[in-house]
Amino acid sequence: MSNPVLIIGAGVAGMTAAVELADSGIKTVLVERLSTTGGNALNLYKAFPTDDCFYCFEGNRWRPGIRKCFYRSALTEQPNIDLKMNSQVEEISGLPGNFSVKLDIGPQYVDPKKCTMCGLCIEKSKAFSLVSPQCQPQAVVYDPEIEDTGTTSAAEECPTKAINLDAKSTKKIISVSDIVIATGYHEMQPVNVDEYGYGTHPNIITQLELARILDPLGETKGVLLRPSDGKPAKRVMMVQCVGSRDENYYAYCSKICCVFALKHAAILTQDHEDVEVSVVYMDIRTYDRYEKYYRDTRNAGVEYIRGRVSRIEPQDDGSLDIIVFDSLLNKYLKFSVDIFVLSSALEPSAGSSQIISSLGLKSASGFIGAINPETEVVVGNRIYACGSALGPSEVPESVTQARAVVSKILQSKE
Amino acid sequence: MSDKKSAVLLCTCGKQLGLSFDLLESELKKNNLTTSVTVEDLVCQEEGLAKIASLLAENEGRLVIAACTSQKIQPRIIQYLKDRGIDGTQIQYVNIREHSAWVHSDVDEATKKSLDMIRGTLARSATSVQLVPETKEIGNHVSVIGGGIAGIEAALSLSNLGYHVTLMEISDQLGGHVKHLPLVAPTGKSGVEILSGRLESVEKDSKITILTKTKVKFVTGEMGDFTIHYTAEDNTSELTLKTSAVVMAMGFKEFEPIGMEEYRYGKNPDVITQFQLSRMLTEGTLARPSDGGAVKEVVMVQCVGSRSEDYKRDCSKICCTFAIDNSLEILKQIPDAKVRVVYMDIRVPFENELVYKESREVGVDYIRGRISMVWEQEGKTRVKIYDSLMDEYLEVPSDLLVLSTAILPPDGVFALSETLGYAIEDDGHIKELYGKLRRNETRRRGVVAVGAVTRPQFVSESITDAQAGALILHNELQGGKIQAIMRGAVLNVDDCVGCSLCAQQCPRGVPLMIEQIDAEEESEDQKILFKAAIDTLNCHSCGVCQSLCPSGATQLNFLSNNQMWSEIEATLEGAGADNPVTLCFYCEECAVSTIDIAGTLKMEYPASTRLIPVPCAGRVSIIDILKAFEGGASSVMIAACETDRCHVGGTGNEIAQVQVDVARDILNAIGWKGERVDMFRMFSAEPERFTTAISEMVRRAREFGPTPVHTGTAGKWMEVGK
Repeated sequence: MSNPVLIIGAGVAGMTAAVELADSGIKTVLVERLSTTGGNALNLYKAFPTDDCFYCFEGNRWRPGIRKCFYRSALTEQPNIDLKMNSQVEEISGLPGNFSVKLDIGPQYVDPKKCTMCGLCIEKSKAFSLVSPQCQPQAVVYDPEIEDTGTTSAAEECPTKAINLDAKSTKKIISVSDIVIATGYHEMQPVNVDEYGYGTHPNIITQLELARILDPLGETKGVLLRPSDGKPAKRVMMVQCVGSRDENYYAYCSKICCVFALKHAAILTQDHEDVEVSVVYMDIRTYDRYEKYYRDTRNAGVEYIRGRVSRIEPQDDGSLDIIVFDSLLNKYLKFSVDIFVLSSALEPSAGSSQIISSLGLKSASGFIGAINPETEVVVGNRIYACGSALGPSEVPESVTQARAVVSKILQSKE
Repeated sequence: MSDKKSAVLLCTCGKQLGLSFDLLESELKKNNLTTSVTVEDLVCQEEGLAKIASLLAENEGRLVIAACTSQKIQPRIIQYLKDRGIDGTQIQYVNIREHSAWVHSDVDEATKKSLDMIRGTLARSATSVQLVPETKEIGNHVSVIGGGIAGIEAALSLSNLGYHVTLMEISDQLGGHVKHLPLVAPTGKSGVEILSGRLESVEKDSKITILTKTKVKFVTGEMGDFTIHYTAEDNTSELTLKTSAVVMAMGFKEFEPIGMEEYRYGKNPDVITQFQLSRMLTEGTLARPSDGGAVKEVVMVQCVGSRSEDYKRDCSKICCTFAIDNSLEILKQIPDAKVRVVYMDIRVPFENELVYKESREVGVDYIRGRISMVWEQEGKTRVKIYDSLMDEYLEVPSDLLVLSTAILPPDGVFALSETLGYAIEDDGHIKELYGKLRRNETRRRGVVAVGAVTRPQFVSESITDAQAGALILHNELQGGKIQAIMRGAVLNVDDCVGCSLCAQQCPRGVPLMIEQIDAEEESEDQKILFKAAIDTLNCHSCGVCQSLCPSGATQLNFLSNNQMWSEIEATLEGAGADNPVTLCFYCEECAVSTIDIAGTLKMEYPASTRLIPVPCAGRVSIIDILKAFEGGASSVMIAACETDRCHVGGTGNEIAQVQVDVARDILNAIGWKGERVDMFRMFSAEPERFTTAISEMVRRAREFGPTPVHTGTAGKWMEVGK
């Protein structure tokens, strides 16, 4: 029996690679740091370019339909996928074809194959919750930090006996033939970018936080409210390139923040009533057909201001006065807004640098670098990467890259 | 086919579902389509799975499982049965959890709804047929059209995956645009460097046949059995090639700005395109075309034809990087040259930003604005630029005025679409099957598109595309031995009337119209010259052909017309003026997930609703809708994917919309309220789209009151046309 393929990260890229490999008869070990797969996409609400949800990826070939939502992706049901949740790769050694990987496997408080999501434990104890209706595995999660009188009876009365409150984390060493790095990106917390005051005022948020507000499944049920006082927000200002194209933080362009911001501007102007949106930018980078978002939002009345934000002045009524230098008009403008949204840089996810150094890979501004940049998915000898691990990527690119990785792995096995 | 009885397996979800299982059990035992009723606490666990296996054995595979969403338990059940070699293709599922118990707090109402839906599913099960695995042997040969970087990479990938490949190139050599690029960011390499290893591999590869100066005329057949008609070098006569699949890799065409008077392209020889500059730089012939003079002053203009309402509306994506690459190369060859780039927005993704920065550091001057005039003065070209940041005009000399012209689809894409059957985007590129997840697949099975023929792409993206495209075909062709369960549309050719609706409207272009050689011999009014042919193994099982077929010749083998109609009738048993029912057909793509998520979130909606699954909204025909009213429904809705986002191939939901519109017209014409039927688009990120829609249809059912069927004033549908 040949070694399985290790896939690090179960976002859209990692899941696609796992399902494609599994359907091709290749065993995989899919390692995910969090308690649900889906990565950033799980929190992004509407997708571009399709304007439907972000929660799907391609399904197995043996199932009808051409794609599956995360909740029905059945990752726990496939004999060729060994899904390790709450787990991390600690160490990789050995040679291509026979890498030795040390895994830190988190405690499995809830057996995902047994949990039916019947809801009994959630009723009994606050320590149990459902991360998202789209979560995969479809199972509740247990937070041992929350002490509660109901946890024991929840565990005892669970109809399938899926709960083990005494579960412990374990270490395991496995041998794998190939490694696929699909660790995604992380939205920079712009706490150190003083000029934007992130963290100093609740109405100064990031695009990812705005996505949560716009999401009907989120806390505000999709109603645009000011985080400070829960009052309806009517004026929104976005600022691009926060921490990107900036020598002090990340010199590169984060590539997808423009279309990300414009997608939100489109939702705000088209699906919400009487919301005014302005976007402060250096260059609007809506590549290829994404230009449509730029056209549509301008037609919908979104105001684009080429320049930089120079000052933010919180007002007593919870609003923010923003002073913007408009480089086209060559003068300062003052705006009063309810929510100020920072299009924060997309940075390599935690652990990226460790993977690069331990496997001796190239770095592309901290993301995983290809051996030859023109062959973007091949990053080492039997080591591949796909999705935003290679640099900020949209979902379609991540999927295509994941398929390219699988293509290369199958080619090497033919 | 006579009705067969099925076993019923009810799951209580660990005794957590708010349903009266005693009532369900006793009522279902009375149903004459049931052999047995079993109540299990956990169908999804080992004991329950074992029960499924034994019930299948006892009931010749006929089993109705009423439990949580089939979207979750079906994969587990399939896997369990597959491991034991048991056939489960006739199992029918009813969702009594997310679609009933979790969304209706009234236990009696939820039980009644569940009972009706189980009764309907028993009727569906009664005439189900076993789906059997099938094997088809095809040639393991793939043709790649286009010998640029994407085509070369696709050919190499396919060869590595075990296929024989014919690589067809229209010009006299491979390499496309890339071989003329002096520098390809962010690789730091020239196009030739990127190509050379690949060209060597392609030429050495015994499984790859290269045909240059070859023009593909048209293609006939379908996946596994295409015939490519082409003309080859020094041979005007047409040749043919048998192949199982096609990779479209025809690259792009640079826009020729002939009509744009303001730049004087075509009039002034020193006004050239960015790609013409690339060739000069690669060939070492950088000079003024007019007189061969030295190039010291260069002005580049971005977005020529791109982001323009008159030419191409969208951004061409790669031209900014392209211009920067060439600027750097100019400065390498002529260090004291002055390069100015006139732009609207500089668009350089990710690390290409670092190359942009480098270019500014070495002195490339970026001017945000537009060209206001180009003219010749004393043999020199002069350019007037409006600088929108300084709000001023500046006039500069120019040895070369370089236009970064739009990236357009190549010639021939449209012509080949007529026989290859892929769809075309508004901008003329080949349209993808689904923008988020299926970028390289086209509408037509067995035809993938890679590289710039789909959209402007960087070299690295084209290479990735080609590798992914090869995988997609490998998945389809399975090395030449296709093994799959025969699940999909089956055509009874004797019933075909040759109308060709299926061939025209199939989202994946599966039905072919085949000439009936013997037809001529029959009497004049009997002859049908062309009849459809459907390869079920190529079918995506949406049912669009079935809903459109006027003669019932093509039907899904897992959801025949009879199955659907008997399910509608049985589900609606008891519906009437006192019990107004809203029947909802939902697709098993976006609609099922929206309804499931509404269930998981326990979003309450009226319990006077009954749900029937269909693979795609396009499966629902006018007759199905009218049958629902005939059966006693007060209102009928179709829940489908978002507009333009049908997941079966882009058009199933639009076909459904047509069916709904026509059904409405018919209702209005016979004096009903047409608004009793409607269609709604949804996706799971917005579950309230479903609850709002179905509440609206329940409201209409109440508002419009009893239907003519309820009041006994309606004729049977069969009589309406007479």
